[in-house]
Amino acid sequence: MIPELEIIKPFSLEEAVDFLNDHPAEARIIAGGTDIIPGLMQGSKRFTGIKYLVDLQQIDELKEIIADSENITIGALLTFSQMINNDSLKNNFPLLVKSASTVGSVQIRNRATVAGNFINNAPCADSVPPLLVYNAKIKLLGVNGNYEMPLSDFLIKPYFTRLKTGEIVTQIILPKPKKEFIGDFYKLGRRRGVAISRITLAALIQIEDNKLGEIRLASGAVSPIGMRFFDLEQKYSGSVISDKLLKNISSDLGKEILKVTGLRWSSEYKVPVTQQAMYLLLERICSAHKQVK
Amino acid sequence: MNDKSSPRKFSRRKFVQGVSTTIIGSYVLTPGVSKISEKLEAETKEIASGKKPLNLIVNKVRYELMISPETTLAEVLRNELKLTGTKLICNHGECGGCTVLLNGEAIYSCQMLALDAGEKEVTTIEGLLTGEELHPIQKAFVEHDGLQCGYCTPGQIIAAQAILLKNSQPSKEEILTGMSGNLCRCAAYPNILKSVLAAAGYLTEGTNR
Ligand code: FES
Ligand code: FES
Repeated sequence: MIPELEIIKPFSLEEAVDFLNDHPAEARIIAGGTDIIPGLMQGSKRFTGIKYLVDLQQIDELKEIIADSENITIGALLTFSQMINNDSLKNNFPLLVKSASTVGSVQIRNRATVAGNFINNAPCADSVPPLLVYNAKIKLLGVNGNYEMPLSDFLIKPYFTRLKTGEIVTQIILPKPKKEFIGDFYKLGRRRGVAISRITLAALIQIEDNKLGEIRLASGAVSPIGMRFFDLEQKYSGSVISDKLLKNISSDLGKEILKVTGLRWSSEYKVPVTQQAMYLLLERICSAHKQVK
Repeated sequence: MNDKSSPRKFSRRKFVQGVSTTIIGSYVLTPGVSKISEKLEAETKEIASGKKPLNLIVNKVRYELMISPETTLAEVLRNELKLTGTKLICNHGECGGCTVLLNGEAIYSCQMLALDAGEKEVTTIEGLLTGEELHPIQKAFVEHDGLQCGYCTPGQIIAAQAILLKNSQPSKEEILTGMSGNLCRCAAYPNILKSVLAAAGYLTEGTNR
């Protein structure tokens, strides 16, 4: 049984922010509820002391998808299923849509939201590495109004973000990558459905002639939270593509991950597997590029 | 509610209608009708301290309930409406036993608050029956041994229905993806797949309906 709760259904964002600020310790936002309801049911420590769930479903602007020439902006309440079925997201952000289709199961995707996925900031949040390589920004609303922040700054450590008490993530801004960018997403779980990811990787690369332009790499699940590899990206941008190069990038990526995780009992097999997976991912991207040409 | 001792044969739907305007536990059921008597209304208010009204449409029947806000949809279906075909197995959003349709889409009813389902159409396994007649998917499961112990079966059938509503001729792969959220501890998977493929056949032939 879930402990006693009140459900608050504000009609506007302002109302929601006010309520959250009036009840900082006791109120929590609920979106799809796929994490919070089972969490409450199990008495998870992450949700103790909650008396009010603030349900934002009635606020339509949180469900909109707005496209302009530079960005596609999605409302924070968009579910994974809605994302998978949206053509402009499919065309512009294929890695994100691919990761969305691997989240949980149909039943979960029909309810769970993309924003909930990264606000919860579990290491295994599947949509985070793709969001990171697309340089996603998020829009927040608090008592002092709206502001934006890159997603990579927002995520701090497992289950912690920069979300302040009384604030709401309202939108995710996805800058459309230039045409030359090509990428892919990789997920390893223990089985195909309802599996918690063990390794997720996303790579988005600009390929010009035989050279790497901008490179964007991100990992999830093997790293404590979804993260980018900015140093590595800089080191290799501009390099001439060769099999050796792809191997070097992958091997460096493994070393970087080891730096953040420290040596764990699982490192001995997880690091080589991650390196190999990254290598295969890069190889696939490069050969896909050749085919397009 | 001792329908067992009743000499008349109750179909499940008749049974639900039979208890329509009585209070079950702390809930007022008024399928089909939205007016409740003043006396009942007063009683309801009394019982309802801390409770919230919920308009739920389950299997095309409208229920007006008063519920505690923290009640999940699965709990309302099973404990209050006595629609126990929906199974609570893990109660944690992982097994699929509690799968129901919400506006035609499969969801886990254990993972969602009942208040959230207000004014939306819920379909449970009981809603697939026509009177006492089985739905083609149910027939297919019987004919192709799509079950062993049967615990996961209502969830499997509803998940299959969600697929078939969108795509009358799903491929094997589409069925496997669409039903990956439904676990079967008896591992009846091969026959579940056969049953769904057969059901797709029945439905398109229209021979069973
Ligand atoms: S009982 Fe709801 S998913 Fe297992
Ligand atoms: S038939 Fe026994 S759990 Fe599926």
